[in-house]
Parts: sequence; C-alpha cells; structure tokens
Amino acid sequence: MRSLLILPAVIALLATVDAEAGARQALLDGFATQAKAADSGFAGFSASRGENLFRTSFAGGKPDTPACTVCHTPSPLKQGETRAGKPIEPMALSASPDRYGDPKKVAKWFRRNCKSVLGRECTAPEKGDFITFMTGQ
Amino acid sequence: MPTPRSSPVPSLAVWDLPTRLYHWLQAVLVAAALAIGFLAPEWWMGVHVWLGYGVAGLIVFRLIWGVFGSQFSLFASFIHPPRQIWNHIRGLIEGRPPHAMGHNPLGALMVFAMIAVMAGIGVSGLLALGGVENQGPLAGFLGFSAGDIARKAHSILAMALLAMIGLHVLGVIVDSWLGRESLVRAMIIGRKRVPAGALLLNPRPARRRAATLAAICAGTAILIASSLAGMVPASGLIAMPRQAAYQEECGDCHEVYHPSLLPRASWSATMAGLENHFGEDASLAPETAQAITAYLDNYASEAWDTEAANRLRAVDGTAPGQISATPFWKRKHRQIEKSVFETKPLRGRSNCGACHRDAGSGRFDDQMIAIPAR
Ligand code: HEC
Ligand code: HEC
Ligand code: HEC
Repeated sequence: MRSLLILPAVIALLATVDAEAGARQALLDGFATQAKAADSGFAGFSASRGENLFRTSFAGGKPDTPACTVCHTPSPLKQGETRAGKPIEPMALSASPDRYGDPKKVAKWFRRNCKSVLGRECTAPEKGDFITFMTGQ
Repeated sequence: MPTPRSSPVPSLAVWDLPTRLYHWLQAVLVAAALAIGFLAPEWWMGVHVWLGYGVAGLIVFRLIWGVFGSQFSLFASFIHPPRQIWNHIRGLIEGRPPHAMGHNPLGALMVFAMIAVMAGIGVSGLLALGGVENQGPLAGFLGFSAGDIARKAHSILAMALLAMIGLHVLGVIVDSWLGRESLVRAMIIGRKRVPAGALLLNPRPARRRAATLAAICAGTAILIASSLAGMVPASGLIAMPRQAAYQEECGDCHEVYHPSLLPRASWSATMAGLENHFGEDASLAPETAQAITAYLDNYASEAWDTEAANRLRAVDGTAPGQISATPFWKRKHRQIEKSVFETKPLRGRSNCGACHRDAGSGRFDDQMIAIPAR
C-alpha cells in the first residue's frame, strides 16, 4: 500500500529534477545562440573563464561589492552570506541541486549581481561560462 | 470605659492581621515594581505589569478593609479635622507631638495620599499598556497618543510615589524616636503601648463577613469586566494579508520588514531606488515592483497605531528608507549597539527578528525582546 504512494512521489521528483535539468540545458543553449549571434567565432563556453569571472575583483561596480565572492565566498561549495547577513546556499550544482533551473530567477540575479559587481549587465558568454563552471563543480 | 490594667505595660491590638499583611505585601510589591520600572531592561515589562496588577488588587482590598476592617484600619478612624492636624504639626515642631493610638494625623494624610497616588499609577499604567503597547484589557479602547500621555503621567506619579515613600519612612523614624516606641515593630506584631491615663473606647471589631462578601463581589466584577474588555481586538493593529511577491522579493537578502515600520514616502523612495539599494542592485521587473509599491502604500506606518509605527514614523531625512537610521531606533538601541552589533557587522542592525521575536507581526512587544547569546 505504502509503496503505491511512494511510487508516484518518486516519479514526480524525478520529473522535476528532469525538468530542471532540461531548463538548465535550454538556458545554456539560449546563451550559446545569443553568443553566436553576437560573435560568429564563438566556440563554446569555458569553465575556466567562468571561474575567472567568479574570482576577479572589478573596479566598475558598486564599492561594497567588488567581486562575486563577497557574497558567494571563494568556494562554490560553501554557503555564502548576503551583506545583510542572510545565508546563501552554495553556488555549485553538486551542493545545491536546484540551482540554475528557473530562467526568471537566473536572469534576475545575473542582472542585479553583474550590475553590482561589474557595473554593467553580463554578456551571454559570461553567463554561460559562469553556469558551466558552477555545474562542473 | 477604661481598659483593664493587668500587665505593667498595657498594650492594645492596633493593627489587625489583614492590615499588617496588606502593608508589608504592598511594600514588597511596590518596591519591586518601582525597581523594575526604573532600572530593569524593557523585556521585564511583563513582570512589572503583573506586580502592578498585584498592587491594584491590594488597593481594592484596602478600600474594602477601610470600611469593614477593625477600629484602627477604618478610614473614618483616621480622618482628622484640620485643627488636630495643625496641633500635631505644632507639637512636632516643639518635639512633643501628641500621642496617637492609630495613625497620627500627618501619617494618616500620607496614607491617603499614597493610596491615591498608587491608584493613579495603576490606572495610568493600564491606560499606557492599552494605548501604547496594545496590551491588557484596554488595548481595544485607547489610541497611541492617549496612551502616551498616560505613560508620562505614570512615570511622573511613580517619581512622586518614590518621594512619598521617603517621607513616609522618615515620618516613621521621627515618630518612633519622639514617641519612644518602634512603629515598625507595631506594624509587625500589631500592638502598641497604651500611655498612662489614656481613655479608650471599645475598639470596633472587624466585620469579616461583610468584607469577604465585598471582596468576592469586587473580584468577580473586575474579572468579568476585564475579560469582556480583553475580547475587543487591539485598536492599533489592522488585518494585513500576506503578499507573496513582497515576501519573496524583499526577503531574498534580509528579513521581510513589516510594512508598518516606515511611512509611505519612505517606501516609495525605496521602491523607486532599487537600482542602488544600500549599495546593491536590487532591481525588479516593473510589474512586480508596481505590485509591491501598491502593497506597501496600503500598509505603511500611516495605517497602524502601534508603538513601533508611531515612533519610527519620524525618519532621518538623509536616509528616509532606513529604519535603523530613525532617531527613535538609534536612541532605543544605543546601549546595545557597541557590544552586539560591532561583533557581527553584517548581521546586526537590520536583522530585527534576531532580537525581536515578534518582528513579523509589527508589534515589537517589550516582553518579546531577547538579545541572542553570542
Ligand atoms: C551582494 C551579494 C552578492 C554578490 C556580490 C553576488 N551575488 Fe549572486 N546572488 C546573491 C543572492 C542573495 C542570490 C540569491 C540567493 C539564492 O539564490 O540562494 C544570488 C544568486 C545568484 C544567481 C542565481 C542562482 C540560481 O539559483 O539561479 C546567480 C547566477 C548569481 N548569483 C551569480 C552571481 C555572479 C556571477 C556574481 C558576480 C558577478 C554574483 N552573483 C555576485 C548575492 C550576491
Ligand atoms: C539584493 C539584495 C537585497 C534585496 C533583494 C532587497 N534588499 Fe533591502 N537591503 C539590502 C541590504 C544589503 C541592506 C542594508 C542592510 C544593512 O545595512 O545591514 C538593505 C536594507 C534595507 C532596509 C533598511 C533596513 C534598516 O537597516 O533599517 C529596508 C527598509 C529594505 N532593505 C527594504 C527592502 C525592500 C522593500 C525590498 C524589496 C523591494 C528589499 N529591501 C530587497 C539588500 C537587499
Ligand atoms: C541586537 C538586538 C536587536 C536588534 C537586531 C534590533 N533590536 Fe530593537 N530593541 C532591542 C532592545 C534590547 C530593545 C529595548 C531597548 C530598551 O531597553 O530601551 C529594543 C527596542 C526596540 C523598540 C522599542 C520597543 C518598545 O516597546 O519600547 C522598537 C520599536 C525596536 N526595537 C525596533 C527594532 C527594529 C525595527 C529593528 C530592525 C531594524 C530592531 N529593533 C533591531 C534589540 C534589538
């Protein structure tokens, strides 16, 4: 009897995991299409460029937030903290399986965080690199 | 009828047991309430209020006992005509005040004055509790501004009572010294020496049954009245639906602030400046921002009559969107700022819920404050 109840739950869970994985891939594909449109020489995303973006200190953004690591910590596997003290789940997909599955959320935070850190929106290659780096962690 | 002179130092039962119990209980409760009120941190208010209820109950008892008690407890027995009061003062100046079996005329005046002031403290305290704190039986009947006036009266009367207690103790010391008989001892054992040649009428015994009946009636009336009054919802708070967008979008980086903590103008300035929100970009999709702005406009501090809403309404002109920059906030948190906030610079000030367990309701009750251990 109980297994009858568990089965649909497992299927539902697998379906959402699957849906998120699908959404993540669609997101990356979207960034890739945009990147190609802007630069015909685009040759795919790079985890090391993504890591670079994650770790570099920029001068163009707001003074309190020179780098992504200010809030996300230098380790993608560690819990970060907002400037107001609220915990932020780790950015690496292996540590937070829900990451990068909701395109609206991803767009919102790239817009905000890139403006805070770099003083401008991130480009499609930058976003793709970043997610590629984080999904590989 | 002269009293029989059997013992060498004849004494008379002056203060009956209920009066003595009343006196010392009153002394203890009032001292504790005054000490907590003046010295203890805010979150002791619950204890202070219960002490206040205790004192009020004692005063109700004393009023009943002043009518049905034994001879020297009766109010009528220590209402002295002005001429007698004057005689007493003259005698006091000469160092030979006339002997009094019960309260002497000046002491009696002080007893009436203290009972009146304590009653005033109780009433103003109840009004302040209802109006300012939205607590107690009067929470549904009084607004903040009326409660705030009562709060001021409450503390002025408390200071007056402190002075009167000082005078009362001084009077007891002087009278004990000049009369060669300890009044403190008399209030403990209940008996006082009868001076030679004193003529005493038969002291009237207490009417215990009438007193008990009166106490039961008064107690029941108070209980019924206060529980009926307590059913009226607090007048300072309004019903506020939760808006999902506000909870989600404004709770990503910090706790979700209760809309009553800032006035409309502050919220609209905050919502118009999300691109540069306390040193960060917190921008939103226009339609989401619009919905949240409308919500905050509806439930901003102007819509509430709580203590927090009233006090925090006066914002700092240079930082209108910052609750922790308002003059009231700074004054209230000055003492803790150094020790707690500086050790955790990133999680301190703006994390109201870390110390105010009821921050989510906008009440900010004194009893709900608990500074977390570090
Ligand atoms: C001021 C603090 C802060 C800084 C600096 C910051 N972030 Fe974030 N970031 C957050 C918060 C808060 C969240 C949302 C919380 C969450 O998703 O757990 C977030 C979420 C994200 C997300 C969405 C993740 C998801 O699950 O969809 C991405 C992508 C992201 N950040 C990228 C970056 C990048 C790239 C940088 C540097 C250019 C950066 N962040 C710098 C605070 C920051
Ligand atoms: C991207 C992160 C972020 C988001 C999203 C955000 N805030 Fe803030 N907010 C902050 C930071 C950082 C502070 C400064 C906190 C501090 O000084 O400790 C702050 C402070 C505040 C304060 C002042 C707190 C105080 O100390 O008095 C208010 C009010 C406020 N935010 C309202 C909002 C509202 C309303 C929203 C939703 C529209 C919102 N915030 C969304 C980051 C954010
Ligand atoms: C570190 C703990 C702490 C934090 C964080 C904190 N408070 Fe307080 N707050 C207190 C203490 C303690 C008092 C009582 C001060 C006193 O004894 O006068 C108080 C008093 C108050 C009062 C007055 C309550 C009353 O009935 O007199 C208000 C209103 C208030 N705080 C609002 C806030 C708001 C809004 C925030 C967040 C922006 C906040 N507090 C953050 C500790 C804190």
